[in-house]
Amino acid sequence: MSERIVVNPVTRISGFMEIEAIVEQHKVVDAKVKGLMFRGFELMLKGRDPLDAIYYTERICGICSTAHGLASTIALEQALGVIPTEQGRYLRDFMHGAEFLQNHLRHFYQFVVPDYVKLPGQVCTVFESPFSDMRIPKEKNDLIAQHYFDSLNVSREAHEMIAVLGGKAPHTHGIFVGGATTQATADKIVQLKNMLTDVARFIEEVTIPDVGIIAQYYPEYYHNGQSYGNLLSYGCFDNYPSLGTLYLDPMIAVDGEIRALDKSRITEEIDYSWYTDQLDAYSPMETIPVDDRNKPDAYSFIKSVKSENLPFECGPLARQWLSGAYRHGISTMDRIVARIYEAKKITEILRTLIDNMDLYAASQSEYEIPVSSSGAGLIDTTRGALGHWLKIENQLLSFYQVITPSVWNLSSRANDGRPGTGERALIGAEIQDEENPVELARIIRSFDPCVSCATHVYYPDKAPKFITIVP
Amino acid sequence: MNSEKIKLVWLELNGCSGNIISLLNGSEPSFQYMITEMVDLVYDQALIPCEGERAMDVLFQVMDQEFILAVEGAVATKNNGRYQIIGSWQGTEITGLDAVRMLGEKAVHVIAVGACSSHGGVSAGSPNPSQCVSVDSLLNRRVINLPGCPCHPDWFLSTLEYLLNYGEPELDAEGRPVFLYGITIHQRCERRSYFDQGVFATELGEATCMFRLGCKGPITPIDCPIRKWNDRVSWPVQANTPCIGCAQFGFPDRMEPFITFRNMEPEQVRQPNPAELQRGGALNE
Repeated sequence: MSERIVVNPVTRISGFMEIEAIVEQHKVVDAKVKGLMFRGFELMLKGRDPLDAIYYTERICGICSTAHGLASTIALEQALGVIPTEQGRYLRDFMHGAEFLQNHLRHFYQFVVPDYVKLPGQVCTVFESPFSDMRIPKEKNDLIAQHYFDSLNVSREAHEMIAVLGGKAPHTHGIFVGGATTQATADKIVQLKNMLTDVARFIEEVTIPDVGIIAQYYPEYYHNGQSYGNLLSYGCFDNYPSLGTLYLDPMIAVDGEIRALDKSRITEEIDYSWYTDQLDAYSPMETIPVDDRNKPDAYSFIKSVKSENLPFECGPLARQWLSGAYRHGISTMDRIVARIYEAKKITEILRTLIDNMDLYAASQSEYEIPVSSSGAGLIDTTRGALGHWLKIENQLLSFYQVITPSVWNLSSRANDGRPGTGERALIGAEIQDEENPVELARIIRSFDPCVSCATHVYYPDKAPKFITIVP
Repeated sequence: MNSEKIKLVWLELNGCSGNIISLLNGSEPSFQYMITEMVDLVYDQALIPCEGERAMDVLFQVMDQEFILAVEGAVATKNNGRYQIIGSWQGTEITGLDAVRMLGEKAVHVIAVGACSSHGGVSAGSPNPSQCVSVDSLLNRRVINLPGCPCHPDWFLSTLEYLLNYGEPELDAEGRPVFLYGITIHQRCERRSYFDQGVFATELGEATCMFRLGCKGPITPIDCPIRKWNDRVSWPVQANTPCIGCAQFGFPDRMEPFITFRNMEPEQVRQPNPAELQRGGALNE
């Protein structure tokens, strides 16, 4: 006998998602991760001025807007034949790194911590938590709960680093073709160094101990949430002409073997998502499927993406593993821990970038839009591998494809029926109490989902009866 | 205590979560100040610890009480709203469209936070694939609009302060508080003297007026030049980039191109007429 459990909404993620799991004898035997929101940026971008794509695509995500601006800029540079200056790259990569810090801190404290730490419900109603599996002793619990609020000042400061160079965050302005629009000045440098020092100290002295406490009291989370084990990165903070690679180059791991990424072997599939097209599998530059909410057998707005015909996991754990910095395991807790270790690594990279900035180095000029061209911008961002592919015809965008990290991690089923990476991570998980299946969303949250989806939990004490018995 | 403060529901719809992220960046006033001293935050999908049906219970139980509704994101109307679902309640899928109608009619005040909820914004960008619309187009009541992409935390928190202690602020014809949206960026721009002297930048990164690069400051009424962003460290013009009109109605479609190297002529500049100030408008018609 199996039970069907549905969680909707999965809260504390960006966007809206549903998890559906089939559970037999306290074990997940099948799972679906459903993205239930759609805006259609790829359709909107067609016909727009190519340079406007930078700010327009930032609006895909208020959390990782800088990442989209950067991917779009890299794609445009390829299309326009512009090589960014190394100094310009330092400035925009500094902004991108500051976004990593802001994102990782917000994800850990605001999204992950409430799964394991009881927040003070007397502050306001939103923090009244119903979870029963709260194991951390009161003194330590309350310390981390205090850090939940303290961290907001630190993540705010990380966003301020973006604004110093880019005018504002989210939806920053400073990243542009050629590099960045601002130049390093002594007043900005000392301001940024001060901010970076504050953030780095908090990560080392507060966040790393906090994640250690959570890991200590929830040891089985080192054993659930295992994915296929294939890891992928487009590379980031890499290939500087004079500094070389500060983090990692584009690479993958398949069956334990690490090798270079072949960017030409990325494909998307749509049999199980709400889109239709003449092709049901295609490479990024081939086609943009059209949304179809009523398509039979489909269950998600998230497509399925593969490389070399294989599913992959991307994100901080993949990068930490591929770069050799962290190889403890592939699990829920490893993802959470690796994200925090990566935050520390990013503070070191940013320190290197700022130490190499030249005062007043400018990177801008007047740009001419070609009549016809194309470009791809593939870069690893906060949550993993982000790709923008574009074509220009008659000096306007004629095609725009975006594949986000969350499509890699939260793919719907592939056309051959194989579950997506996040779905695979749910399968095999032990569910202690089917009426309060906290494990499901804890596992999925470890990927830091950025989707617009929706989900529901069925509770047996409410009418109508919520647990569906599948014969 | 929670019971002494009015309740606040933050409803996220078809958008990018950028406005709650921006609110968390608030600094004097801060998000922490808001939740401890100003309101009892009841629901926000990005922050609430509980999930699934229990989260939906929290959201809908508030309807029996006095509450302020803040909405970020546009309302997707395609397929009767099924392009954005906020959760499931008592066995039924709840669309963003359902939630706005249910909560919007009962709230003491409704605040549309950011471009998408105020007028559709980027979510409604042509050809508007999910048929997104503004909050006020669906409700038969007054909605306070705080356009901006994102909304500055000060714009939201000062509007909230106004409502809590001074009643409803004076609103313009488009529902924007006049104390925030009364004066254009151009009127107070730190580079205005370059404009007046006819000194124009030809590429980004220069320190002079960016009108010829497509700046929308002349048609965007908001206080960025004196407010600045992210604890007041900078703003787009200070970062050597033009204003793209993100706080004006009609963003993004009527504000494009955001940046152009086609070199507009200074005589094309003029003060916008009142109709343009209400709904945006092309600068060079």
